[in-house]
Amino acid sequence: MVKLLFFGRLSDYANGVPSQIQASTAADIRQQLATEHPLLARQLSEPQVLVAVNKQIVDWQQALQGGDEVAFLPPVTGG
Amino acid sequence: MKSTIRIQPEDFDISEQYQLLRDLTKGIGAVVTFTGLVREFEPSGDQQSAIDSLSIQHYSGMTEELLSQIVDRAAARWNLLGVTIIHRIGELLPSEQIVFVGVASQHRNDGFMAAQFIMDYLKTQATFWKQISQNGRSCWVDTKVSDAQVLKRWNLPVDKDL
Repeated sequence: MVKLLFFGRLSDYANGVPSQIQASTAADIRQQLATEHPLLARQLSEPQVLVAVNKQIVDWQQALQGGDEVAFLPPVTGG
Repeated sequence: MKSTIRIQPEDFDISEQYQLLRDLTKGIGAVVTFTGLVREFEPSGDQQSAIDSLSIQHYSGMTEELLSQIVDRAAARWNLLGVTIIHRIGELLPSEQIVFVGVASQHRNDGFMAAQFIMDYLKTQATFWKQISQNGRSCWVDTKVSDAQVLKRWNLPVDKDL
C-alpha cells in the first residue's frame, strides 16, 4: 500500500478517495482513480501536475514500494 | 553561511529579522530584505475586486527541503554571509505580510541578486498553494506565466523538476 496526498486544487476533487491504495506507479494510481473519480483523474492528466514520491519529484512511471508517500502537486503559487 | 528557513502561521517582525541578520557575523556590509504582502485587490473577471482573505497551504517537509536547495544554489553563486526565509501559511487578511527574504553579504550586489534569485525560485518551485476568498467564493490561484519566465534572467535551464 502507498499513501496518497493531493495538494492545491487537486484536493477539491479528492473527497472520498482512499488515503492508501495498492499501486505499482503513479500512472497506475491515476488509472485506478479514473473509474470512481473521473474528475480527479482528469485533473491529474494535466501536464503541469507533478508527482513526488517521499518528497522527491519523480517520473510517473517510477516503481512504487510499500509505504511510499505519493503526492500530486499542481503548479505552485507561493510567495 | 548561516541560513534560517521558517514556515509558520504567525506574523514576523522585519526589524527583528534584520537585526538577527546584522548580528550574525562580523564583516557584513549589506543587508537586503524583501517582504511580500497580501494584495487588497485581485482581478475578478475583467475588473479588480477586494479580497476577503487568502489561505496558504504547503507540503510540510518538502517545502523546507526545496527552500534549502534554493538557498544552497544562491550561496554557490554569490558571496553570502546569511540568509533568512520566512513564509506564512494558513489564513491571511488583506495587507498582511506573507513572505520575508533577508540576505546579509559583504557587498550589496550579492545581496540584491541573491534576494531576487531566491524569490524567483521560491515562487516557481516551493510547494505552496494559495486560495483567495473573494466576493464570498474561494478559488485556487493560477500560476502566472510571467513568474516562470523571469527564471530566464538567471540564465539557467528551467528545471524539469519543481
